[in-house]
Amino acid sequence: MVKRVFVSIRQRPIKKQQLVPEGLLLFRDNILTKGNIFGATSKSRWAKGLDLSSQGETIFFAGCGYQFLGEAEAILSAVRALDKRNLPWERTFGMTQFLNKRGINLGDLYGKIIHRFRREDNPLLSAIQVLQRMDLDLGYLAEDEPCCAAPLYYAGFQEEFAAQAEKTQAILKERGITKIIGMVPSCTFALRTLFPQRGKGSPVEVSHFLEIVWEKIKKGMLFRLPREATVTYHDPCILSRYLRLTEEPRQILRSIEGVVFNDVERCKGEWSTCCGGGGGFEVIFPEISQTIAANRVEELLKTGASTIVTSCPGCLIQLREGVKKLKAKEVKVMDMAQLLQSALPEG
Amino acid sequence: MSKAKAYKKRLKEAARDPQISVALKRAIESYRKNVDEALKKFPHTLKLAEEVREVKERSVSRMEELTEQACEAIRQNKGKASIARTPGEALEIIEGIVGTGKLIVKGKSLTGEEIDLREHLEARGNEVYETDLGEYIIQQLGIKPMHLLAPAIHVPKEDVAKLLTRVTGKKIPPDIEVEVATVRGILRDKFFRADIGMSGANVVAADTGTLFQIENEGNIRLSTSAPPICIVLVGMEKIVPTIEDAFKVAEVTWRYAGYTVPAYVNLVSGPSKTGDIEKVITYGAHGPKEMHVIFLDAGRSKLAKDPVFHEALYCLRCGGCLYECPLFAVTAGRFGDKYFGGIGAIWTAFVTGDLTDAAPLTYSCLSCGRCKVRCPMEIDAPQMCLELRKRITQGS
Repeated sequence: MVKRVFVSIRQRPIKKQQLVPEGLLLFRDNILTKGNIFGATSKSRWAKGLDLSSQGETIFFAGCGYQFLGEAEAILSAVRALDKRNLPWERTFGMTQFLNKRGINLGDLYGKIIHRFRREDNPLLSAIQVLQRMDLDLGYLAEDEPCCAAPLYYAGFQEEFAAQAEKTQAILKERGITKIIGMVPSCTFALRTLFPQRGKGSPVEVSHFLEIVWEKIKKGMLFRLPREATVTYHDPCILSRYLRLTEEPRQILRSIEGVVFNDVERCKGEWSTCCGGGGGFEVIFPEISQTIAANRVEELLKTGASTIVTSCPGCLIQLREGVKKLKAKEVKVMDMAQLLQSALPEG
Repeated sequence: MSKAKAYKKRLKEAARDPQISVALKRAIESYRKNVDEALKKFPHTLKLAEEVREVKERSVSRMEELTEQACEAIRQNKGKASIARTPGEALEIIEGIVGTGKLIVKGKSLTGEEIDLREHLEARGNEVYETDLGEYIIQQLGIKPMHLLAPAIHVPKEDVAKLLTRVTGKKIPPDIEVEVATVRGILRDKFFRADIGMSGANVVAADTGTLFQIENEGNIRLSTSAPPICIVLVGMEKIVPTIEDAFKVAEVTWRYAGYTVPAYVNLVSGPSKTGDIEKVITYGAHGPKEMHVIFLDAGRSKLAKDPVFHEALYCLRCGGCLYECPLFAVTAGRFGDKYFGGIGAIWTAFVTGDLTDAAPLTYSCLSCGRCKVRCPMEIDAPQMCLELRKRITQGS
């Protein structure tokens, strides 16, 4: 009898070592249950009062990274503070998951607070204002915007990613959507490159915001900054090495009146340095990712620029964190959409 | 503490160490300058790299057959050759040759590092000297190498001076020239008293059985030619069909390591011999009388058959990718196990460890993709890291 008990204890399956980092597991659960990376119940709070149509020839694909920019910034900054003090910050992800399952949604709570106080900071609002100056038949799916599920791809959940990709493709097809303007580089890459590799091709034409803007500038659209600024550009890895969009942002910057564009010497285009926020790295190694961000900001500031422009929500957060670490208070980090908005012609 | 937790802690400590980031910043700057100049001076290297990629594609798919051929060629040259399927087998073969109580001089070898060769020989009562300057410093300090080509990349001259003062019992100033001369003095006598010399190889020609060793210090030539017995441990993936292919591989390797040309390239095909007296071939003239080559498998033949990951075997170990990795720039060799960086994650999964060892490494890759831009073989390490993550999620 005693022996039996002993055996049964020993035979109890040993808990499998968790090899996937906690942060990425939380992302997976959020995407699979709520259709967005933060597990929020609403993704279109930023667009409240904009009166955007859900129909349109071209669909504006806002993406999680921008829609939850404020939340992400706040959460990452909290996690980083814990990591720097060597506190078990991973537990916050476990805790969030635990609370989510019991109907308490921290992501939502953050969102409500942030959108109340800092809503006007969102680059999506700038992008919409810029796009509305072009004669586009623009729609935004708001709460119905499907998830690109790219975080699943980077975390290694390839099957779940393929299933999600199929779902998203079906939604796009059902709604008869043929043109998409992507804002987040990784959403754009997923929709444009990864989806067609996994499904039966895609009838959707996916452009990035920067491509649309550059096309319009080539056709004569003018941008002028009210006050001259010395600007440098940070290439998001997905735009430069995955989507090969390196000339468009530079051409845009050169064409804006009032912009003094100082490009980085070597680490630009396909040689650009990552901001430290790739592949989910920032939620696995929060402290180290800030160190990497600071190194990148140092490279960018060697150009003598006081404004760093980029075109990715992840890079925006990282570069700001890097600026913080370097205590470079005079340096401004902004999205290309924001720079363009401030350079919109009157009228 | 779980492997992943221990790794995270080490990585974080490295990133907080200003010595590492300062040393790496200097190293990255000078590497980029050197490689740019080397490629500018010899622009044909780019085209040559494409050819070498084809050579590696052809070689890795025929690795088993080429290894047999190389063994046969070495035997014809009166050397001894064998294939070790596991690190244990390799250590056993080497131990059989070495025995105990020997003085051994060793050139830097990642493959040796892979199977903990030095530690093993020391534990068997042998006196082993690393003769590469950086590796010598690492050995004397009792720490882990931080870079493929410059293992002591993170140790400043002040620390080297302290170390050499301790070793020699004389006051050594933190002057690099004096330090280099001091180590030369210490090792000179070892080279000529050693019973056995050991080394690795950068590339091997299967048709002639020739081992190529690229170096700058001259320690490898001394290690492999002064002692009476020479042992070379080399990974099976280093073998290419012909000596002509091997020259191409060697040139691309050193160029992407940042050299227009290295000080030395040793070509070793067999033991030393002479026919100068009555045309009677006699072995052991000035070089070693015995030469042993051990080809290490240890997962390589399995990796060669993997449809996704076999590309990892094309790695020339030039180290170029490491100078482009933003994480390596702040953590050096802590981002890795025996092999470093994103490509190191793949080698860890298949050769030096398993998926649990490789998991924390593969989740450390930023997937930024700059290593691939640098790689002369255009190895897509970030993509392979994502594929490895896929295997990890499927397994757990």
